[in-house]
Amino acid sequence: MNDDMRELERRSRAAFDESVESLDAETRSRLARARARALAELRERRVPGPAVWVPVGAAAAALVAAMLWQREESAAPPPDAALAAFEDLDMMAGGEDFEMLHEDEGFYAWAEEQMSDGVG
Amino acid sequence: MSLGRRDESRETTVDWERALDRFLAGIERRAFRIACMALRDRAEAEDAVQDAMIRLVRNYGRHPEDQWRPLFYRILRNRITDAQRRQKVRRAVMAWWSGPEADESAPDPLESAVDPRGTPEQELEGEELLARIEEVLAALSSRQREAFLLRNFEGFDVAQAAIAMGCSEGSVKTHYFRAMHSLQLALGEWKP
Repeated sequence: MNDDMRELERRSRAAFDESVESLDAETRSRLARARARALAELRERRVPGPAVWVPVGAAAAALVAAMLWQREESAAPPPDAALAAFEDLDMMAGGEDFEMLHEDEGFYAWAEEQMSDGVG
Repeated sequence: MSLGRRDESRETTVDWERALDRFLAGIERRAFRIACMALRDRAEAEDAVQDAMIRLVRNYGRHPEDQWRPLFYRILRNRITDAQRRQKVRRAVMAWWSGPEADESAPDPLESAVDPRGTPEQELEGEELLARIEEVLAALSSRQREAFLLRNFEGFDVAQAAIAMGCSEGSVKTHYFRAMHSLQLALGEWKP
């Protein structure tokens, strides 16, 4: 870039800076209002703090508890079935119980035979 | 969350909001003048700057502070491009309406058309050199104009201008040099 270009750069930049400084008050005010609007949107979009979420969370937990209680009331399984389900779960959770199922195949064949006899 | 940590978080948010406010306050007038030079319409320029502010705050406010400036100008550039497209459509419609078969009694749509030389108010507010530069810039390609406005008026380095313009640094250099060359040819003999 030659010297003339550099001089043109300098002078044009100075003229631009001057035009920015001489912006009228009304335009400055409108720009400040536009900025305030942009920042206001930021505040509106901000996620509410924990103080707001605590009661909301408590209410939601109470609602879920009430729904579960009602569901249990209307379709509660018999106590034996509930116990059996618990035992199944317990058995599945323990690895050694699965091994026992394979080792005692003879016992389960015998038990099945006994049950068939009883039913028949 | 403990009370102390909550207070700390609120304080950080307030600091962040203040930083954004300071950034926008420092940039808004220059951005407006640049938008005016690109669009040659004050109302459109104000809209573009406001929209760019909102989008920056909404989408990039959480980015590191040193990225705000090139991101803001990139958004502003997109808003200016959108506004220029709308201006072209408006001018095309007005040109069609002002054809030989237009109703003579109807108000002249050209009266409300955007004057490429700017309004008398605009001419009065700027320096004579700046007015001449605006005229020359209006005749340049949009990329050359952007490169000149960002590099020379906004003081962006090549890398920042490349981010704002969404192109390579080599392209910025080329566009800027061509813009300067055109300005020098057009204003070479100009003396204040």
